[in-house]
Amino acid sequence: MPAEVGATPSTSPGKTSRRRSRPPSTSTGLERRRSLTGWTFLIPASLVILLMSFWPMIQAAILSLQTGRGRDLSFADPLWLNYQRMLDDEILKQTLTTTFIYLIIQVPIMLGMALILANLLNDPNLRFKGLWRTAIFLPSAVGLVSYALVFRTMFATDGLVNDIGMALGFLDSPVNWLGQTWSARMVIILGLLWRWTGYNMIFYLAGLQTIERSTLEAAKIDGAGPAKTFWYVTIPQLKPMILLTAIMSTNGTLQLFDESYNLTNGGPGNTSMTISHYLYNVSFRNSPNFGYAAAISYVILILVAILAAAQIKIGDTRD
Amino acid sequence: MTTFRKFTAGAAVLTLAAALSACSSSSSGGGDDTSGSSSSASGGGTLSVWCWDPNFNIYAMQAAEKIYQQDHPDFSLDITEVSWDDLQTNLTTLAQSNQLDQLPDIFLMQNNAYQKNVVNYPDLFSDYTDSGVDFSQFPDSVVAYSTVDGVNYGLPFDNGTAIQAVRTDILADAGYTVDDFTDITWDQFITLGEDVLAKTGQPMLTGQAGSTDLIMMMLQSAGASLFDDAGNPTITDNDALNAAIDVYTRLVKSGVLVEVNSWDEYINTIVNSNTAGVINGVWISASIQSAPDQSGLWAVTNLPKLDGVAGATNYSANGGSSWAISSNADYALAADFLNSTFAGSTELYDTILPASGALANWIPAGQSAVYAEPQEFYGGQAIYALVVDFATKVPSNNTGVYYYEARDAVGVAITAILNGTDPSAALEEAQQTVEFAMGG
Repeated sequence: MPAEVGATPSTSPGKTSRRRSRPPSTSTGLERRRSLTGWTFLIPASLVILLMSFWPMIQAAILSLQTGRGRDLSFADPLWLNYQRMLDDEILKQTLTTTFIYLIIQVPIMLGMALILANLLNDPNLRFKGLWRTAIFLPSAVGLVSYALVFRTMFATDGLVNDIGMALGFLDSPVNWLGQTWSARMVIILGLLWRWTGYNMIFYLAGLQTIERSTLEAAKIDGAGPAKTFWYVTIPQLKPMILLTAIMSTNGTLQLFDESYNLTNGGPGNTSMTISHYLYNVSFRNSPNFGYAAAISYVILILVAILAAAQIKIGDTRD
Repeated sequence: MTTFRKFTAGAAVLTLAAALSACSSSSSGGGDDTSGSSSSASGGGTLSVWCWDPNFNIYAMQAAEKIYQQDHPDFSLDITEVSWDDLQTNLTTLAQSNQLDQLPDIFLMQNNAYQKNVVNYPDLFSDYTDSGVDFSQFPDSVVAYSTVDGVNYGLPFDNGTAIQAVRTDILADAGYTVDDFTDITWDQFITLGEDVLAKTGQPMLTGQAGSTDLIMMMLQSAGASLFDDAGNPTITDNDALNAAIDVYTRLVKSGVLVEVNSWDEYINTIVNSNTAGVINGVWISASIQSAPDQSGLWAVTNLPKLDGVAGATNYSANGGSSWAISSNADYALAADFLNSTFAGSTELYDTILPASGALANWIPAGQSAVYAEPQEFYGGQAIYALVVDFATKVPSNNTGVYYYEARDAVGVAITAILNGTDPSAALEEAQQTVEFAMGG
């Protein structure tokens, strides 16, 4: 309980907190100046975000209700026509399924690996710690397009993976990795794992620094092995960080574009294409249909929002 | 403390001001890029150009600039290299946001994308009606790509005439010559190809899986496309398409055509001698000639034609591009420049052909001596004169506004058919995909 400021000691807690949020009149001038300074710092960034992010979002929402050819757009009849159309769009359904396959397989594996790696690299007795950390983080510094092209070359029919597989006797004949639906999807997932695991690991490493070492030692003294300590002591304390990375990865995977576009070009037969890649095609490759494209982007937004809300609901146990 | 706070508040306001002024200055700076519209119409002045490929299109533009400068010393070009994908994105974005004053005077456009862009965004273009360009000096099939409702929107440049190039040494191993592959049908081609494969182990063709280039070439060789004259998709009940897909399936199943996954792999099959032949637009010649050790081993001939399809020929095209004059152009200057170079200068075409392999669509250029010179790489064949002759025989067809949707849908259908799906069911689905896209 905070000390009461010149009030009767019997004030209820509710009243106290209200009093606390509203400062006494004597310091109004100072407080006002303080909050003014705060706002001055906030305004530039807020204005830029408002102008560059929120205003286009509102425009996109309006656009998603419109239909027509080229710039000659008018409000659709019924207004939700573009959203209604999606129900009959086989390619959209396919790309949606594919994107969720990427999400469901890739995100848990990646976060699990990142957790384990972070825990290993947090060992105070480990030597060359900086080297390992840098090596695992380095893929995140590689451009998305460049790594996608390297993976495409590696998994070509006459590529490195087939050469090594045949030399070591794993493969009898070259596998057409990118020519079959599931192997093409797996190559994309593999690429994502390589590119993003280190990135998430850094978040966990940062989170691990905030964990009191004495809690781990206490667990050890109580007879918990490394696995149990990790599961019952480390993970609960990392929960906010895990939540953050889960939301970011979900968001990132639902907006996946570069890998689909550059690594497989959506093939074979659109089966490795993501929603964002389809969105691009609808806007720029095909005969442009910006109203429909805006509607699709809003569906992605809604999906991200729902998934993030669900994750927060499940993962955030703070009061 | 107070002074410090004042200072920080002031700094924050300054940042804000700087951010806002940065916004405004960048937008006004962008407007200055288009200098073309302000130039005089007397032949002097600068034209801005967007196109891709420094060794090909940009080189040709620079050569044209030099030629035009002979009579107009004050003239210059401001060429910006923009890849086709980016160029299309730029055009769509500018048109959609009505920022047409950002357009260059002249830009290059893929022939296949012309119908789509002209129909969706007519205000990107100036038409060629008052340009003085004589379009009868270009092959009808090439002009047709960039003609909408009888109005010309493009000056054909990059030649997309299809050729069949074969490795004479590999064919000789199997006991054949290039003549055996000239003026034949696809049935004969497959029979010959199976024999070549059996004797040498080499396929006759390679291609990118899921790519419809070969199918589209077969269609155009019969004057067919994926749309009827009214623009409705004709993926089902299309005799030429059925025949083309039947041929393609047999090519793949017999091993006469080997599918690879990416363009790089495709080029590698040619450069690494993993195929006995190539069928593509004549621009593929640049890739073929990138393997100097194969000099003298190639020969060029026409394509096989479809059996039992009305209007089938041995001639087709794949790709190619044309120059568009934008709606933001100094029209008089741009039209005069293009008309006196790309549609009127044999000197230009004689310069760029040997240096870059850029082949003319302008028929008078084909009569020049440079075109008739034997090409050492092709065993002394005068392939350029040959291809210019092919070009005049290519049937016209209707690309269609929804060309990319239809082509992709057919690509998906072919992948499904090769994996065992019933062709009519796969094509029905493709038809529905295109009809869906057109329904929005």
